[in-house]
Amino acid sequence: MTRFLLRRLLLAVPTLLGVTAVVFATVALVPGDPVAAFLGPGAPPEARRELTERLGLEQPLPVRYADWLGHALTGDLGTSISGQRPVADLLLPALGQTLTLTAAAFLLVLAGGVALGALGALRPRSAGGRISGALSALAVSAPQYSVALLLIAVFAVGLRWLPAGGTHDVFGDGGPIDLARHLILPAVAAALVPLGLTARVFRAALGGVLAGELADSLRARGLRPAAVLRHCVHNASPALLTIGGLQLAYLLEGVIFVETLFAWPGIGRLLYDALTARDLPLVQGGVLMVAVAFVGVNILVDAAHAVIDPRVRN
Amino acid sequence: MTSRVLGRANLGLTFPAALAALLLLLALAAPLVAPDDPAAGRLADRLLDPGSPGHPLGTDGQGRDLLSRLIWAGRASLTGGFVPVAVAAVAGTLLGVVAGLGGRTTEQALLRLLDVLYAFPGVLLAIAVASLLTPGLGATVLALSVVLTPAVARVAFTETRRVRSAEYLAAARVSGAGWGALVLRQVAPVVAPVVLVYASSLVGLAIMYAAGLSFLGLGVAPPTAEWGAMLEELRPSLLTHPWVAVQPALVILVVSVVFNTLGEALRTRIGDTAAQLPPSAPAMAGRLPRPIAAKRVGV
Repeated sequence: MTRFLLRRLLLAVPTLLGVTAVVFATVALVPGDPVAAFLGPGAPPEARRELTERLGLEQPLPVRYADWLGHALTGDLGTSISGQRPVADLLLPALGQTLTLTAAAFLLVLAGGVALGALGALRPRSAGGRISGALSALAVSAPQYSVALLLIAVFAVGLRWLPAGGTHDVFGDGGPIDLARHLILPAVAAALVPLGLTARVFRAALGGVLAGELADSLRARGLRPAAVLRHCVHNASPALLTIGGLQLAYLLEGVIFVETLFAWPGIGRLLYDALTARDLPLVQGGVLMVAVAFVGVNILVDAAHAVIDPRVRN
Repeated sequence: MTSRVLGRANLGLTFPAALAALLLLLALAAPLVAPDDPAAGRLADRLLDPGSPGHPLGTDGQGRDLLSRLIWAGRASLTGGFVPVAVAAVAGTLLGVVAGLGGRTTEQALLRLLDVLYAFPGVLLAIAVASLLTPGLGATVLALSVVLTPAVARVAFTETRRVRSAEYLAAARVSGAGWGALVLRQVAPVVAPVVLVYASSLVGLAIMYAAGLSFLGLGVAPPTAEWGAMLEELRPSLLTHPWVAVQPALVILVVSVVFNTLGEALRTRIGDTAAQLPPSAPAMAGRLPRPIAAKRVGV
């Protein structure tokens, strides 16, 4: 197991290097002269030369990449232009907020995906099965920003049941119930697409097992339907793990829209603000952080897979 | 029984296809169908609710007719959905076929590159690329092409690998076919149908991404109408005029459902038809519709 994990981690190194190279390229290739942008057009040549040297811009690209990578590894992602603070200081608190939202959405994805998928697999030809199929198809095609706006319009503005944004009420106690009330709508908006995909995959996996030899032999031995189902669900669960892990990663990308529309102060919201302000260091830091988290989630999924299924380890 | 099944499959395909055609037609015929100028507004008429006289869907914050803007917006939004898919289909097929036929080094180089691009969540890669460019439809198209190409390349690569050792290819080689002829006349016809079906299922996703980029301010510049950009423009009115503000959101949702359903229907439909054909003789593969295993087409 340890060997498997080590190998998997080693394999992630070239991928991560590639990811950092792409992110660095977006810094280096940005059109325009950063020195002129910083000093203004009429700056004296000495000042220009000094700043060019201070920023290391006279160095060849590979040297600059190595330099940037070294700083990034030690947590130094540069200084935000709009915030005038180190990028890492802005990103870290936001990461916590994003993880809270992602965790809530992920719970919805698993619970909803399994329920919807099981309904479809157990009674494929019933009204419930058809509705489950239609619902998952609808969920898969529902862009997060559309869902977010519709949810706000109906539940926050129309019915006034839930808050339209933020993480806590201004005059509230900020306790767990307050947080949960603020989490519901953004979590639903973020969860819908992954929920639909999970439901589809689980439906196909469970349906396959239920129609296969395992289910037949269990039934032939006289097991009760509930016991047959239990065994079959167990058999279909690796598929759930794989797709669930992929969806966790997908949630990380959906949050940029959801957080923006619900004013949720996470990485996505920060990225949106950075984009509107053309704050490139912050954009790059945010993209890098999410991409690294994405690779990390994939490693975790592989590890969990190896725990459940010994065949994967070799 | 057979005819019933086929009939239902046909309806599942023709209905979304008709809706998609209607959407394309509306966008193409925007100057003829749109009741009003999409860029001209009267500030006195700002933020009228749906059902107002002369403005069936209401007006936006600058008093521009929403119905006209939504119709015109289809042009930029659908371009942002279709063009990147077309670019990715061509570029991805080329990359995939070359890697599939090439030696170990070419293959490994391409696969590693695809791995890196796959390591980015799609929207983020699009953002990283688009934030380098001047905002506009071109930026959206380029960014989404970069995002979609690896997926197509992977499909084309898998298909090429499948036929690489086929006898008809060896036959073509010994009869003196050069590299170009091999790629264009022997492999591409086999790979193309699979890529086409796969690409058609990407259109819905691309439309969704394109509108998302515009929403983030990386797409078309105002005053051009685009569904994602309209969503952002109308967002401040959400709390006061929710029924005006949700319209672009609803349109994107419907369009996304239509194109996704169509892509899905095409995939199953062609997969089904293919399953009824006899397994293809490799020598005929270039000329006959080859069976496409619908299950394998997905990423």
